[in-house]
Amino acid sequence: MKQLKVQKIVFFGILGLATLIYIGPFLFSLSISFNADKDVFEWPIKLFPERFTLDNYKNVWKELPFGKWLFNSVLVTLIQTVSNVFFSALAGFAFARLEFKGRKLIFGLLLSSLMIPGIILLVPKFIILNEFQLINSYGGLIIPGLVGVTNIFLMKQFFETIPKDLEQAALIDGCSYFRIFWQIFLPISKPALAAVAIYTFQGSWNEFLWPVIVTYTEDMYTLPLGMASLRTELLTDWPLLMAGTILISLPTLMIFIVFQRYFVQGVASSGLKG
Amino acid sequence: MKHVFLIPFCTLLLLSCTKQADYVRFTSWQSSPTEERIIRQTLTDFEKEHPDVAYQFQPIPGNYPEKIQLMLGTGKAPDLFWLKGDTAPAYMDFEVLEPLDPFVSIDQNFDEADFFPVFRDAFRHKGKNYGYAKDFNAYVLFYNKKLFAEAGLIGPPKNWEELYDFSKRLTKDTDGDGKNDQFGFVIEPSIDIALPFALQNGGELVAEDGTVRVGEPEFIEALNFFMSLYRDGVSTIPADQGAAWMGDVFSREQCAMTISGSWLIPYLRDNSPDLEYGVSELPQGKKRGTLAFTVAMVIPKQSNHKKEAWTMLSYLAGKEGMKTWTNSGIALPTRKSVALSNGFYEDSVLNTFMQSVEYAKLYKINMKERWYDESQAAMQGIFYKNKDIEKTLKELGKTLEKYTLD
Amino acid sequence: MKFKSRKKEQLFWGYLFLAFPLLLLSIFVFFPIGFAFVVSFYDWNLLIPDKPFVGLGNYFELFKDPVFIKAIKNTIIYTIGVVPVQTLLSLFLAFIMNQKIRGRAFFRTAFYIPAITSSVVTSIIFVWIYSKPGLLNYGLNALGVDSNIDWLTNPVTVLPSIMILNVWTTSGYFMVSFLAGLQNIPASLYEAAKIDGANQWQQFWKITVPMVRPVTYFVVIMSLIGCFQVFDQIFIMSSGGPDNASTTMSYFVYQNSFKYFRFGFGAASAAVLALLIFATTLIQKKYFPPDVY
Repeated sequence: MKQLKVQKIVFFGILGLATLIYIGPFLFSLSISFNADKDVFEWPIKLFPERFTLDNYKNVWKELPFGKWLFNSVLVTLIQTVSNVFFSALAGFAFARLEFKGRKLIFGLLLSSLMIPGIILLVPKFIILNEFQLINSYGGLIIPGLVGVTNIFLMKQFFETIPKDLEQAALIDGCSYFRIFWQIFLPISKPALAAVAIYTFQGSWNEFLWPVIVTYTEDMYTLPLGMASLRTELLTDWPLLMAGTILISLPTLMIFIVFQRYFVQGVASSGLKG
Repeated sequence: MKHVFLIPFCTLLLLSCTKQADYVRFTSWQSSPTEERIIRQTLTDFEKEHPDVAYQFQPIPGNYPEKIQLMLGTGKAPDLFWLKGDTAPAYMDFEVLEPLDPFVSIDQNFDEADFFPVFRDAFRHKGKNYGYAKDFNAYVLFYNKKLFAEAGLIGPPKNWEELYDFSKRLTKDTDGDGKNDQFGFVIEPSIDIALPFALQNGGELVAEDGTVRVGEPEFIEALNFFMSLYRDGVSTIPADQGAAWMGDVFSREQCAMTISGSWLIPYLRDNSPDLEYGVSELPQGKKRGTLAFTVAMVIPKQSNHKKEAWTMLSYLAGKEGMKTWTNSGIALPTRKSVALSNGFYEDSVLNTFMQSVEYAKLYKINMKERWYDESQAAMQGIFYKNKDIEKTLKELGKTLEKYTLD
Repeated sequence: MKFKSRKKEQLFWGYLFLAFPLLLLSIFVFFPIGFAFVVSFYDWNLLIPDKPFVGLGNYFELFKDPVFIKAIKNTIIYTIGVVPVQTLLSLFLAFIMNQKIRGRAFFRTAFYIPAITSSVVTSIIFVWIYSKPGLLNYGLNALGVDSNIDWLTNPVTVLPSIMILNVWTTSGYFMVSFLAGLQNIPASLYEAAKIDGANQWQQFWKITVPMVRPVTYFVVIMSLIGCFQVFDQIFIMSSGGPDNASTTMSYFVYQNSFKYFRFGFGAASAAVLALLIFATTLIQKKYFPPDVY
């Protein structure tokens, strides 16, 4: 009995330590963001600031083009999320529920594209977008991310789990496949659609490499890029920087907390069958 | 229902249609609020003089050279922009800039002969002038008067021996924890901080004719002295203090001396208004030597508004524009008339810069972009990996030969 | 709309549904792959209109470039260091999270937060932690270890520091993958083991590890691909320095393509990286297939 107790203490000790390691850094940055002293390197480092202030959060909006970056981030993320949800469902439906020539070949092609590391596409994508005069524009930021193969894959997997006879009655009634997709399949696919939406949202919101390459003026920056650009300039103003990073993290954190179960579902299904 | 398909296409169409601008787009980098305020002030003056020229000012924060390069490469370069002297040779070599001589010859207001010769020819390449220096800066020595007094020192160091000796005397442990927390000097693992020492020793990074000279004994000897300051613990580096740059360390009084251009002056005014500092020419080695930095205003070949852009350039790099721009002391005039009429030789601080420029070497490197990263890597190797100075510099010399322009 | 047969109808709708995704993927995925190789055979600089064909010239230059060799070395060290640690740690976390403990949702969220946070945010926070007067040195000193180095400008510590950050951020993500796998293991297996007197440790190695092999396969592949292409953290935290001690292949690609503007040379280095990733995944598939128990 005693041994069991010791085991339990050790177990919770490890768990507590791990939790601290995983969220500790965020707590410290939260603390710094409320610090009125600009010198955050004063030892001893304290978890609670001596002089508390909300000014850093105000200054993020006043001293930086935070509003513009937020607008860009929201625009890019929204369009990419809506587009991904709609088109991956559409394509997933075609792959899962329709029989047509070339389907297997196309799907195989898509699957193999998953193996291609994104880095090799950077230069050609840049040259192509430049041909379309889309560098440093919303088009350049958004268009390459409108459709994702992983999402199509996820939706196909989901639609395949639905029994075959679902669309039969509708077909006999003379419904078009688009109506079947729109009126019968979409309404019952909410969990899968939610997973795709959440993943796309998170990916677009946090995307860094692509904006670095495709934008060059401050007014086109997305939030992560904007904050990273400050890292080189305002290194001394850590409280401001931390306030900004906390603000960027909030949306993904909230969405995660609210939609936790879809997250887990999404990882699980893309993980098991990938 | 099928119109759903059209949504993305329409959005894209809407997003991607860009209007051809019918004004001059002018771009600079963004270094400080003070600087931006003065630029805008100069531009307001310009508007009064030339109400007919429509323009838009778009400063770029961070990674300026890369961004400008991207803009040039994608055909969206601004009509008028700042170009750093050290990166200019590659652009002139690639022929992406508009030669300005035709404009100069018909513009009566633009007095070319008024420039100090070193700056007038700073952006001349194969017989053509591609840009005019809007201002200059030079490395001088800043020293903390209070810390000097505490150590019983009166004036700034005059030569290398004094620099080392003073640094040693100014290095101390102020809070008694057994570790030095005040240093005599601050340096940086950066080629442009080391280069003045090489110049003072008769060395050079790359000669006018393109010969790479970094592996020569003069450079090696100078770097040995430079490094001894850090290795002997009488100088610190910003990273050791959690600071962003040398001026930051100086401003926090963690060191008593630093090398800097005049950009440190407004920084100190904003961040440590009570710090009493003096400014002097750099201590000399075998001879005097320092680096001068200049920034040109240039017009790209691809611009559709070259004439209007020239009107702006002519004003901003002209006598009046330069007067307003340099009035605040954040930059120094490249025109003799402005320097004379605005008291740059009378003010002791500003005069230090004016004197330095007499013997300064222009920081203009005739190499492809990668020379800089290679040089920085070598410096970092020496600082952080304790690499052998002679061997590293000789290797660097061989590497740099691959990046020289013609 | 009338169709002659159901087959024709499906053909029509199938391609209509796929039209937009296929168009986009062709422009931004399929075509660029081939185009990347084409570019890599040219001396392609956006600023210079003349783009001479150089054949394999860029590739020859790459393998003579000491920085590129260093980048390959760093990338391989990074991957070999991160992948196993990350995989084991996330499996371990998942194993703990699969126990019946109070507040499981809270702990799961805690471990997952770094994974959903922007790499920019985590990098900025860790720049502060790793700096000389930062939290890490402070903590070490409080524990009695006299540590006074700047973790990100020290050539020995810079890469491991970024590797640890990577493990920290992504282990939560893979934990969720493993968790799903763990929940598919029938409870009866554990019951049987318990009756045989196996302790938790033995259960972990004898039942859990072999049963989640398909997930492990997926996790290792994803982790490999991610590590080989690590960029954000390098860009923000060290810019490849000091003395290229943290220059990875993707950072090299970025630098040469978008900083030195040598698109051909950059594309060639990206192609080498892609081939390396491809070869590694093939080897994994051949020698460590997902479905062998």
